[in-house]
Amino acid sequence: MRIMKKALVIAVVMMTVPFLALAGEAITGQKAIENVYNRPAGDDMQSDLTMTLTNSRGQSRVRKMAQFSKDFGKIEKKIMFFKYPADVRGTSFMTWSYDEAGRDDDQRIYLPALKKVKRISSDSKSDYFMGSDFTYDDLGDRHPAEDIHKLLREEMIEGESCYVVESTPREDEYIYSKTVTWIIKDKWIDLKKSFYDEDGDHLKTLMVKKYENISGFWIITHSQMNNIQKKHTTDMQLSKVKVNSGIANRQFTERMMRRGVR
Amino acid sequence: MKKITLLVLAPLLLLLGGVPPAAAQSTTFTGYVRNYTAILLEGDQKYAILQDTLDLKIEHSRGKVDFKANPYINFFHNKETEIDLRQSYLDIMLDSADFRIGKQQIVWGKADGVFITDVISPKDLSEYLLPDFEEIRLGVQALKIDYYIGDHTIEFVWVPDFTPTKTPATDSIWYVKPEFSISPTYDYSKKEVPSNFGNSEIFLKFSAITSLIDFEIMAGSMWDDDPTMHINQSIDISTNQPVLRVTPEHHRLELVGGSFSTSIGGFVVRGESAFYNGKYFRSEDPALKDKVVEKGYTHSLLGLDFTIWNTRMSVQVIEQQIQDYDEQIVSDEKQDTVTILISRDFLRETLKLELFSYFDLNNAGSLLRPKMAYDLIDGFQILAGFNIFNGNKGNYGQYDGNDMVFAKVKYSF
Repeated sequence: MRIMKKALVIAVVMMTVPFLALAGEAITGQKAIENVYNRPAGDDMQSDLTMTLTNSRGQSRVRKMAQFSKDFGKIEKKIMFFKYPADVRGTSFMTWSYDEAGRDDDQRIYLPALKKVKRISSDSKSDYFMGSDFTYDDLGDRHPAEDIHKLLREEMIEGESCYVVESTPREDEYIYSKTVTWIIKDKWIDLKKSFYDEDGDHLKTLMVKKYENISGFWIITHSQMNNIQKKHTTDMQLSKVKVNSGIANRQFTERMMRRGVR
Repeated sequence: MKKITLLVLAPLLLLLGGVPPAAAQSTTFTGYVRNYTAILLEGDQKYAILQDTLDLKIEHSRGKVDFKANPYINFFHNKETEIDLRQSYLDIMLDSADFRIGKQQIVWGKADGVFITDVISPKDLSEYLLPDFEEIRLGVQALKIDYYIGDHTIEFVWVPDFTPTKTPATDSIWYVKPEFSISPTYDYSKKEVPSNFGNSEIFLKFSAITSLIDFEIMAGSMWDDDPTMHINQSIDISTNQPVLRVTPEHHRLELVGGSFSTSIGGFVVRGESAFYNGKYFRSEDPALKDKVVEKGYTHSLLGLDFTIWNTRMSVQVIEQQIQDYDEQIVSDEKQDTVTILISRDFLRETLKLELFSYFDLNNAGSLLRPKMAYDLIDGFQILAGFNIFNGNKGNYGQYDGNDMVFAKVKYSF
């Protein structure tokens, strides 16, 4: 369903943009963010993820996992298998995300020491993922409707022509007071994003280090989040990326959580 | 057993169509080494445990067949070294079914730290409930078949040979001497369950995960892991004194049960219940020959998990109830217990503080287990905590003198 919606939005955008251009109308901040949100990502995807956490003393910790995701219509299922470090090897984590507005994700975890799959309470979107500099919201698809978007300017960075959009949350209690995003014009990739804390101070910056066209889809394969206040960075690198490879439905079951990645 | 295993394996190997010689193979060795030291807080601060462990997990896969073994060695300061296999089994994986044959730990149910439908693997209580759950469960030799229908699973388990609970040694701080009015003699002639096909244990479970609710329904025919103490009192003709003869005997139990978990807002609600038929209880009824009576018995739990202020909380309320109760039964009709877990991570998930507590509502007893775990580097953990028993009777109060501080240093590889 989500893919259909994305396809519909893309189709609408493709049909609409030329007319807007002809009319001489500039793109809005809202539209630019929607285009990033709706950038096609395929029906399924699998990859190995390496996450490197580096502190202010230059000490690094590495987490490695294999991840699979698939769109099942009204549900998007994602499963992660932890491979490193040794004390978390064999742990798996499955998330079911729903199209329904406001419905929390279902999350289940398999811990090899307990030998059972547990349904767990859904993480807050503001929680940090595995001790990294990314919150769950940073990693997921924050819906454009949750913020007010304003196009600030157009700017060249890293040799790419970008729209610069400022987004202010509609929610009062959100962890960021605002974000500023640099969006590559022709690819709708958010190349850079600055996050500001509740006091309005610059908190962290996300930089896309590498993106690739895989099976016709733009996939970010290396990004780095730099927490300026904590002097801590997290690198996320994807490898062995496959898009639309036809992952079987049974990959997203309790059986596979127990069996692990093979 | 070997013949039966071969009979089971032969059609499986046919189904597999033979394992192709060029099938991808891999062997991995993982595990941990750990030092575990605990000191009693009362008296002359004896060591409750001084243990060094090597736990090795070996996995070899070849196509649709996996072999897993988990040997371990425990060195103790005051008792013999243990060398054993926690698990050792063969997995055969077909399109819609998995077969697991060998020594294995099997875990069912949704309860945490409470054994209701989770009854296939017996418990090692030689160190009470304090070891990690992976170490409390004893592996059983079994054949387990899982048949998958989408997100639903039908699981069948056959345990050909009975394994009882491993109880504390008589010189252990966890040993509780049975109380009798006069010193008894023991007759162990019925303690063993003869190893034959008729004495097998079988279990069946249907489980499902859905967007609304995850649930399991199970049934089993098993042996009570704990023996019933049959008590025979007579008069010794030569001395004219009363004589007490105690005969421990395991009895057959039939049980049905189920469990569920579901998400409501930011909460996870869990429940689990089982009815046991054939459970024996000690009775003071003078009309009873062996001072025991057979009654139905239920064991139920309701739990709630949630996160508040970045702190994970879990509360479980547990009730054990003897059905058709009569006042001559020594045990209470109902035994109520509450468990509370509070846990929070700090320093980017390298430091974890946790408090797990059991409260015995019948006897005003409790066990409080605060602990702190710090990952010095990835895979190298230092853990320290306390086990504090309160009360003077019941499951926890009886160990009031066993309060201890403990530390574990663990390196995983």
